[in-house]
Amino acid sequence: MSTWLTIVAVAAVTFLLRGSFILFANPHKFPHAFRQALQLVPAAVLAAIVAPGLASPAGEVDLSPHNLRLLAGLVALAVAARIRHPLAPIAAGMASLWLLQGAIG
Amino acid sequence: MRSPRDEFAAGAREIAPVLVGMVPFGLVTGVAATASGLTPLQGFALSALSFSGIAQLVVCQLIAANSPAIVVVAAGSIVSLRFVMYSAAVSPHLAHLDRRWRALLAFLMTDQSFAMTTARFSAPGGPGFRHWHTLGASLTLYLSWQSVVALGIAVGAQVPASWSLDFAVVLTFIALLVPAVRTRADLGAAIVAAAIALVAAGLPYRLALVAASLAGIAAGMAIERSRRVRRGIE
Repeated sequence: MSTWLTIVAVAAVTFLLRGSFILFANPHKFPHAFRQALQLVPAAVLAAIVAPGLASPAGEVDLSPHNLRLLAGLVALAVAARIRHPLAPIAAGMASLWLLQGAIG
Repeated sequence: MRSPRDEFAAGAREIAPVLVGMVPFGLVTGVAATASGLTPLQGFALSALSFSGIAQLVVCQLIAANSPAIVVVAAGSIVSLRFVMYSAAVSPHLAHLDRRWRALLAFLMTDQSFAMTTARFSAPGGPGFRHWHTLGASLTLYLSWQSVVALGIAVGAQVPASWSLDFAVVLTFIALLVPAVRTRADLGAAIVAAAIALVAAGLPYRLALVAASLAGIAAGMAIERSRRVRRGIE
């Protein structure tokens, strides 16, 4: 039951954020600092999601070379910085992880 | 002025290249819903109602980690804050439409359709029926996305854990993160957010995500301000 409530709440919030200015506000009365903060949102949030996925896949931070996901993730970051296509880091990261897992395990 | 029908068809046609890149992302999102323990119906409802790959992935990740509902909703809101930016940018183009049209186009707005809408409305000439162009693109993307996610939900249970497909979710975020870092302030925000996310990992209820995002945004704003101050002096 609480899962359904969560789903409905997430749906409501995403709709309200999408509709914020289109439906309710006057975009001209927007404080500059807030506008600036919004522009930083994607970089900050995505980095905060990626970092634990790479550095602490098992729950604890592991920055050693034994952490295969960290190595594969660094490969993916390097590829993404060079190749614009969104599939490039996904393909490179998965291939690296499979190779490393195969080589070690 | 093009007819509503022509605008709709043009929008649907122009979004087509984006659909190719969307397929693996949608599959991973569907797989993640199954892996998180959501029932297929719940996974599909989440997709059909929120129509945001990133929000869906974050919600699934947190549900899989047994986070309380309030944290799941808060995290889903934070990753969706960029929609406020899009909404602000698009609203002048849609201001002439009635409330039902605006609600429909807002519900269907994505990173991709936002980009196409601003491009179409920036072309010379009056607005005409250009909102049909947005609808054509958005609706095509919506239906394609739901089909691919449904497929991901269906095959998700059959994928062996040894394939580490959950790692593809992290990689998807890397694919979105790197192009989002355009300025030095973005880079500072990303580095600080990543560091705080690890340092604060011990916080309960995965509050680290919220703390790290806010710290990153604050760092980015400080970098931006110092850059401006230095320019002012020079």
